[in-house]
Amino acid sequence: MNEELILQHGLTLDEFQVIRKYLNRDLSIEELGIFSAMWNEHCCYKTSKKWLKKLPTDNEIVIQGPGENAGVIDLQDNDGIAFKIESHNHPSYIEPFNGSATGVGGILRDIFTMGARPIATLDSIRFGLIETEKTKYLLNGVVHGIGHYGNCIGIPNIGGECEFESTYDFNNLVNAMAVGHVQKDKIFYSKPKSIGGLIVYIGSKTGKDGIHGASMASDVFSEEDEDEKRPSVQVGDPFMEKLLMEGCLELMSSGLIESMQDMGAAGITSSSVEMASKGNVGVYINLDKIPLRQPLSAYEILLSESQERMLAVIDKKNNRKVREILQKWQIDYEVIGEITETKRVVFESNNKKVVDLPVEIIVDDAPEYDREFYIPRKRKNKDFDFSKIKLEDMIINLLTNLNYLDKSWVFDQYDSTVMGDTIREPGQSSGIVKIHGTQKVIGASTDCNPLYIRINPYEGMKYTVAESYRNLIACNINPLAITNNLNFASPLDPNIMGELVLSINGLKTAAVKFNTPIVSGNVSLYNQTNEIPIKPTPVIGMVGSNMDLNKINTNKFCEIGNKILILGKQLTKNCSPYLLQDQKIAFNICEFNDLEVLDLDFEKKIANCVLELSDLKCIMSCNDISRGGIFSALLKMQYKDMGFRVKVPDPIDLFCEYSAGYVIEIRSKDFEEVTSFLTKKGAEYLEIGQIIKEGIEINSKKFDYFDIMNKYRNDFEKIIS
Amino acid sequence: MSFKSAVITFPGSNCDRDALCYLKDLTKGEVHNIWHEETSLPKVDLVILPGGFSFGDYLRSGAMASKSKIINEVVKHANDNRYLLGICNGFQILTEIGLLEGALIRNKKLKFLGKNCFIKKKFQNNFNLSIKDNQVLQIPVAHNEGNFYCDTETLNLLKNNEQIAFEYCKGEFSNNEENINGSIEAIAGITNKKKNVLGMMPHPERAYSDFHQSQDGRLIIESLIS
Repeated sequence: MNEELILQHGLTLDEFQVIRKYLNRDLSIEELGIFSAMWNEHCCYKTSKKWLKKLPTDNEIVIQGPGENAGVIDLQDNDGIAFKIESHNHPSYIEPFNGSATGVGGILRDIFTMGARPIATLDSIRFGLIETEKTKYLLNGVVHGIGHYGNCIGIPNIGGECEFESTYDFNNLVNAMAVGHVQKDKIFYSKPKSIGGLIVYIGSKTGKDGIHGASMASDVFSEEDEDEKRPSVQVGDPFMEKLLMEGCLELMSSGLIESMQDMGAAGITSSSVEMASKGNVGVYINLDKIPLRQPLSAYEILLSESQERMLAVIDKKNNRKVREILQKWQIDYEVIGEITETKRVVFESNNKKVVDLPVEIIVDDAPEYDREFYIPRKRKNKDFDFSKIKLEDMIINLLTNLNYLDKSWVFDQYDSTVMGDTIREPGQSSGIVKIHGTQKVIGASTDCNPLYIRINPYEGMKYTVAESYRNLIACNINPLAITNNLNFASPLDPNIMGELVLSINGLKTAAVKFNTPIVSGNVSLYNQTNEIPIKPTPVIGMVGSNMDLNKINTNKFCEIGNKILILGKQLTKNCSPYLLQDQKIAFNICEFNDLEVLDLDFEKKIANCVLELSDLKCIMSCNDISRGGIFSALLKMQYKDMGFRVKVPDPIDLFCEYSAGYVIEIRSKDFEEVTSFLTKKGAEYLEIGQIIKEGIEINSKKFDYFDIMNKYRNDFEKIIS
Repeated sequence: MSFKSAVITFPGSNCDRDALCYLKDLTKGEVHNIWHEETSLPKVDLVILPGGFSFGDYLRSGAMASKSKIINEVVKHANDNRYLLGICNGFQILTEIGLLEGALIRNKKLKFLGKNCFIKKKFQNNFNLSIKDNQVLQIPVAHNEGNFYCDTETLNLLKNNEQIAFEYCKGEFSNNEENINGSIEAIAGITNKKKNVLGMMPHPERAYSDFHQSQDGRLIIESLIS
């Protein structure tokens, strides 16, 4: 086999030699395609596996950790919650609408493959600077794609994040998360149960779309690549997915399916190999039986990433019943093979075995690398000059920065109330939905602090986890578990690899402390174009619950006259990265001081105070303090034309970041009770002011409420159009 | 006498469950779920055509659904002077069937719109009896094609026959618009001439429970039952 062909398939020559030696024969082109699909980063985590193994993945509520289509946690009674986040970065850059739409489609299939009905989606999207036409095009396409798919299939989008920063100029990020509800006794796994079970194909016909998608997603881009790679982007059909979802859920609830696996990255190759590997069995598939949209070669069928397809194993005796149910939903269905005891993956085409490989070599012998990494050197501390900063300018700096403005333009394109169970919509600190027919609610938040992680990957990751944690706590949601999406540039650069390793360590430390295991996740490497690496962006999706929907806090102001209190500890001005960056005091990453060490015990202590006060019904509204400090938190809390009057020693304090930072609104009559409670718990607080009608007042200086609110609410749309 | 109702499900309907819950919780009567291929409809007081993307809305919104087998029965039900309510995609289907005038074209800003909107009643009918004049209701919308359009002649007919049931309006506070999707005369819902068929873009079935942001959607069922 010639070298060029091997390299084109994303394998190194060393990797190829391992295969060659094991098989002791030449590979067919189809077999090479299989290794190309299964041995890339996207499918076998060859760079990150060593470090991911260190993450905590289990505790008393974890039903299913990483390794299945989605993680599942226990929500008492017979309720389980399945959730996962996944990236669709490269496809969304090449073709933003379809790339992001199929990202949503893929993650939804991961959820209902487990037997869970999806009940919410969230996303985390990042773009370059809005000044370029390209960013506007990407933003419009991505938001349209996410919205179109979710709206059509009818799953509410309940939250997420949308940020702009220059390193994403040629490498935007699209991470989509989905949450589903499953009955604990009806969870489905990809492991087949019996030898002789029929392998069946359910869903859309197979076409040329997405061939080599998974290996593309593991590749570095150059700008000229764009047009050449376009045929590799899958095209989504949310209507078909809706039918597929209803059909599959009906099959599963009727007990007609043994196991199921969605055909995602690397299509039928990956799904069938994983099935065989999980069950420690073999698979035989006749490729001539696969429903095709157009004539395809065996090689193309194996690597197609056509959307809305499922692979399932059924007992022979259920064949007719399965066919009937799927006919009702107008879904293609075909028996394509069977589970064998050979422990080999065999694909046949035109009466010829085109692939005949032991499962072992594909899965167990997949490469695992221990790549070289550097630990960032210690930063020197320096003092910045804040003397020239004026309050008015600080406010203007925030109101002219997309990252601080109200993002209704994005959220309003998503249906967030379909299914009728939405309690908190996007734009609040966490999205919340009710478990249908119960009083239980699920809250979820997606977060990342790339600037923090670039400054100090370990501490920065702790801050990122803490931010998700605070987002849930602010709503009186108990944080339960995490899904993660590690977006990084090329791990072949030891500096980038260092960020990856240290941030995973930070994730581990925080997850252990908060008792929030990582139950599912995704890794997306090589996010760099034209040699510009993205900032390290390990996104966290955290899920939590409250058993009583009446105890949930709002993030919006409740009543004029109520007092505003601050909990937590302010980071010093010199160590508040976003303050320094967004107030244009520090420009270059090397200028920043190191992060203050985040005290996770302190985070937990303050969080427990918020939860207890919420249960006592003493908190009227609450929001966490993050980028943009108290001022930004207060802006987000404005509601029904209510504003705020505050007094602080130094106005700059209002823009500093916090550890364990929360703004809480309390009634005057509860002031004694709340403050003595906090004192008893040893939690310091700061009373900074009160809620007023149609006004913003800082240290006796009055600002035009409607002018500020008008900018806050409407300028996002103006800036991006 | 208990109030009986039914919800039709088309492939791609995604508010059928919401509509079923809405009816079960508020009418306390029998509620049927009818698959689009059925050829008979039980005798009920109200039929809802729910929201969603019937048949993917790949042709015009609602066009494919309007040719479904069950539609003959739905038309008979309406001709029988019983209540028929189309919400969102259901409204689009009703205009495609021809039970309602006009058409729903793409929103003014050419973008999907999912948010709370404010509406009030224009002319009284049995669907909005319990709503006071000038009472502002807060109800979510979620649509891409909700911009109601008709020619001047039809508009005059709708007005003269008092067929305009709801119009979009401004809420109490500073942050909302008057006519969110650009509908002609801010029309949010219309009835047929006999006023037993209502089509509306806002989703009352998402605003009725104590955990919803608003419970104003109850008023429609309460009007019908009273």
